[in-house]
Amino acid sequence: MEFECCWFNAGRSPLDCPNIGEGEEYLYTSHRKRLVEKCLDCPGFQRDLMGVAEDNPLRQIVATLSEEYREQRGHLQSISAFLSSKSREIKFLHELSQVLQTSMELDEVLSVAMTAITSGKGFGMNRAFLLMTDRERHLLRGHIAVGPRNYEEAWRIWDEVDRSNFSLIELSKEFYRGKLASEKAKFQDILERLSVSRDDEGHIFNRALRERRPILVENAFGNPDLNPELAAILGVKQFLVMPLISRNRSIGILLTDNFVTNKPITPRDMQSMQTFAFPVAFAIERATLYERLQEEVEKQTEANRKLKEQQELIVRMEKMAVVGRITASIAHSVRNPLAVIGGCARSLLKNSSSMEEKKGYLETIVAEAGRLDDVLHEVLSYADSLHPVMDYWDLNQLASTVVGEMKPLVEGEGVTMELGLHGEMPKVWLDYKQISYCLRSVINHVARNQPGVGRIEVITGRDGESVFVCVIDDGLPLTAELKSALTTPFAAIEELGLGIGLPLCKVILERHGSRFEIEDNPGGGSRYCIILQHMKGESDSWQEY
Amino acid sequence: MARVLIVDDEASIRLLYSQELADEGYEVDAAGTIAEALALLGERSYDVALLDIKLKNESGLDLLQQLVKERHDMAVILSTAFSCYRDDFSAWLADSYVVKSSDMQELKDEIKRLLGRKGR
Repeated sequence: MEFECCWFNAGRSPLDCPNIGEGEEYLYTSHRKRLVEKCLDCPGFQRDLMGVAEDNPLRQIVATLSEEYREQRGHLQSISAFLSSKSREIKFLHELSQVLQTSMELDEVLSVAMTAITSGKGFGMNRAFLLMTDRERHLLRGHIAVGPRNYEEAWRIWDEVDRSNFSLIELSKEFYRGKLASEKAKFQDILERLSVSRDDEGHIFNRALRERRPILVENAFGNPDLNPELAAILGVKQFLVMPLISRNRSIGILLTDNFVTNKPITPRDMQSMQTFAFPVAFAIERATLYERLQEEVEKQTEANRKLKEQQELIVRMEKMAVVGRITASIAHSVRNPLAVIGGCARSLLKNSSSMEEKKGYLETIVAEAGRLDDVLHEVLSYADSLHPVMDYWDLNQLASTVVGEMKPLVEGEGVTMELGLHGEMPKVWLDYKQISYCLRSVINHVARNQPGVGRIEVITGRDGESVFVCVIDDGLPLTAELKSALTTPFAAIEELGLGIGLPLCKVILERHGSRFEIEDNPGGGSRYCIILQHMKGESDSWQEY
Repeated sequence: MARVLIVDDEASIRLLYSQELADEGYEVDAAGTIAEALALLGERSYDVALLDIKLKNESGLDLLQQLVKERHDMAVILSTAFSCYRDDFSAWLADSYVVKSSDMQELKDEIKRLLGRKGR
């Protein structure tokens, strides 16, 4: 028998095989592969098979096996094609999900989603409409749409897209940057008409959300389950209603159709779109929440800014109030002696007074002029406090000096004063003039103003990192209110020049980084303590006022 | 002779006012504290009281309230170095408010005016 098959025909070279195409050259040398892939379909092989004697059982067996093999191969090719298509789809969805997951801005998410639905590199639908849930108004509100409005626009857009050769992500970026607003405006009329109340339970959009499944609407114009108005708005026979649900929350509805091409939407399209709808719903919800969060953050930032402004205003007002009180104190402290000096001088000018009276007037003038000196000294002390001179000083020496200076004055008030110095005091970082002034003021206050004081003790000491100088009296105990009033800066208008500047002392000491405390003395009376950090540190930084 | 009570914690003011008002022909007494003033008021009546507001740890406004309740026939002048108390409601109870000055003419005029109102 003469075979046509290359393998058995001595007159033909395998290289002459008419079934081997470009890129299949490996089949020239692999007999087995060539037999399976090419020979079974080769007419020459078929004719050779038919040439086998009919009574030869192998003819029927080989023919049956050959037919069965071709059928199975067809199945395999079909499955392989399906798998490849699914792989591409999964890859596409994965890529899309990644973009959606990293997008926090709602418009960016929408751009990606709408481009994916309408692009030929995505689902290839002609148009897509998105309706979003408006919880405040209980509506499904038309939010955005993408696609052509008519055939001419469709061909023009698709031609542009073809020419651009952009990837899906590039297309969505392009859309986000340049076309989002114009697409919204282009479909504004349809979007408004598509909006529907969430209370309209029979509406297909609400039905899809309630049943949590996509609905493929067929024969829209004659569909008894469909509002004819909706079919008229869309103008297509077939469209897909895809609910967007994230964590049981209705995010919205995605509506898509092939308005221009009228290409049928298959159940497989619907299935793919459903897979796609999950990450889209989640991304939209997250972006919406993020948008709200941003709004809240902005509101919070704005509130904080206003609060800061108000705080600064209050501080400014407080400073102004302090300045006002200082001014009033100075005015009062100057006016009294001036009134007396002027009044006495006028009386002297009248020339009707006796010599004894005149002497009295002159003595009063001298005394009041001395008070004015004191006031001036007080004011200058305050001015000095604005520019402290810090250095390491011996607190014992400071206390001794002040007590020595104050002793005659205190004893003049019928009060005795004693000094108790700590044996091992370190040098202390302080402004000598200010701390001396504060200590003098405290002693003056206690000796002159505290009722029942017959004895004062000034002591120094240390407690860990702190050192202190305390003035202890044996007077009547102070109420909490009085203690607070004594240390509240400018709680009342103070009279300067009389040594009752405790609130001013407190202000100076606090700005100095020190503390001023008034407390009950365990043995009776009160303790007025100036507490200082003996080392120079960050807390010593002077607070501007 | 009209009687004037001076209540001021400053001795020099008491001295000056006493002599100036005595020269004007008034019978003058002076107190340095509210207690002293109440003691004098317990002994005799006065036509006019000059009250300082800031009396060391006391307030002349407290005494003013007491006087307004109990001494309807006595005129009260607040005489103070502070002009700010003019807007204080409690200061409005006084018949007059005079800010201390080396020129006592305003104070003297007010005393005369209030005495004239009383028909003295």
